[in-house]
Amino acid sequence: MDTTLNKLQGDFQRYLLTLDGPMAKEVVSDALDAQTRLGIYADAYRLRLLEALQTDFVALRAVLGDDEFDAMGRAYIDAYPSQHYSIRHFGRNLSRFLAETDPYRATPVLAEIARFEWAMTDAFDAQDATVATVADMAAVAPGAWPSLRFGLHPSLQRIELQWNAPPIWKAVDENTDIPEPQQAEYPIGWMLWRNEFKIYFRSLSVDQAWMLDQLLTGATFSEVCEGLTEWIDAQHVAAHAAGLLKQWLEDGLIATIDY
Amino acid sequence: MAAASSLTHPPLGFGLGLRTDHYESILAGPRRVDWFEIISENYMVPGGKPLHFLDRVRAEYPLVMHGVSLSIGSTDPLNRDYLRDLKILAERVQPAWISDHLCWGGVAGKNLHDLLPLPYNRETLEHVAERVQQVQDFLGRRLLLENVSSYLTYKRSEMSEWEFLREVSERADCLILLDVNNIYVSSVNHGFNPIDYLEGIPAARVQQFHLAGHRNLETHIIDTHDEPIVDPVWNLYREAVRRFGPVSTMIERDDNIPPYEELLTELDHARAIAREVLSPDAKAREGRNGCSIAAPSKAGARRGASVAAARLPSE
Repeated sequence: MDTTLNKLQGDFQRYLLTLDGPMAKEVVSDALDAQTRLGIYADAYRLRLLEALQTDFVALRAVLGDDEFDAMGRAYIDAYPSQHYSIRHFGRNLSRFLAETDPYRATPVLAEIARFEWAMTDAFDAQDATVATVADMAAVAPGAWPSLRFGLHPSLQRIELQWNAPPIWKAVDENTDIPEPQQAEYPIGWMLWRNEFKIYFRSLSVDQAWMLDQLLTGATFSEVCEGLTEWIDAQHVAAHAAGLLKQWLEDGLIATIDY
Repeated sequence: MAAASSLTHPPLGFGLGLRTDHYESILAGPRRVDWFEIISENYMVPGGKPLHFLDRVRAEYPLVMHGVSLSIGSTDPLNRDYLRDLKILAERVQPAWISDHLCWGGVAGKNLHDLLPLPYNRETLEHVAERVQQVQDFLGRRLLLENVSSYLTYKRSEMSEWEFLREVSERADCLILLDVNNIYVSSVNHGFNPIDYLEGIPAARVQQFHLAGHRNLETHIIDTHDEPIVDPVWNLYREAVRRFGPVSTMIERDDNIPPYEELLTELDHARAIAREVLSPDAKAREGRNGCSIAAPSKAGARRGASVAAARLPSE
């Protein structure tokens, strides 16, 4: 649609995004001149989005410091304008931005902190589900076990991190000394989830991460056991898998046990 | 004072914006407000704490839904995802009504998350009225449109905001959420008489009032919703009640959120004003003397100070 209104809105938006273009010509100058009046909107645009980032990335802000966070946030606002109707989603690309943009990409822990904090945001308001219990598992007849599948809680977030983002987050949350960035030898699996209204997170060993990912794809208990023999002795694999399931049931991570 | 209108829903009384900080106080204490307004987008999420508390508050109070993302004046197509999610939320909440703003919020698929003013001319009028009708058809109910605070005037505007709002509401057959603070803020920023604004609004379509605080920077006022309501806005509210009657009133506080009790006290002030204005005694007094109100003139806006207007509502 190419109308006067469309052109005007395009010019206004261009001014807000780039502080450039012909928009000032369209605005009445009186007690305040057009540039000042447009400037009120341009300032508000950035401040509102910065506030959204501050809310969602508390640990990242603590690590960077207020000024550096502000500068980073403004660069992100320019690089990834919001495309969603809700400001709730504005920070979705921050981790990617930090991983791909100088100077932040030289400090990879930053992108991982952002990734971790965004996973928390997603767990916070993910869909609700009732959870299965250990008693439900105990009621399963032995013959039904091989073909069991498990539905995981919709709030579950599975991420891989090579840096110590979760301990950094925890230190900020508890207001203790923030640890120095530390890189692991290989990426470590983490899971985050919501139980009632609290967010939990835990690191996963390689076999745990593999099993959880298998359950997410709908694998049966026997398929999981078979795969786990990569790490676990075949003789103990069923008990090991059942033990993990029990733990995850107690964590409120498993929504359904499907026959 | 307006007669009860066949267009509007029955008034709900005095409400507050539902804010996370107050969930526990609201549910723990006795019923101290008549209704709550939610920011629709805050609850357009799959689950978790927001929807849990929404349902619990809804079980005890009437709710209305107030959106910030409809972007009714944008030249982008209406956002179908947004409308779908809004309708899903409305089915859950069963709100007394749904409102959004007379503004636009972005074009070319971008969202600026602001309530940007529209040029008030025929082209915009036709565009907005048509879109309001589309939204109303989709939602199956009348929409309320709210006047926004603004900081600029377009050279392409051909009419006042109140003329525009009146025309849109009549053409699209929608209702009006009159933000009394926004009228005041814009009156200072643009140098018009807020009484002219009230006089231009069709009383039969006014469903709700907003009250809020702002930040006065001397050269202009920023609509921040982070301070208590100031006297000139209370005075304008008094005048709005006199003109439009017992319209559902709520206080919007979005930042620097005080304890629940503090907002209840502020809401009591609104109740007291409405009671005073609507009591038979007050009407009798008004008949004799009229009532003056602080209204900034153009000169006042230039100096950054409001000036008591000589103009009386009855003039």
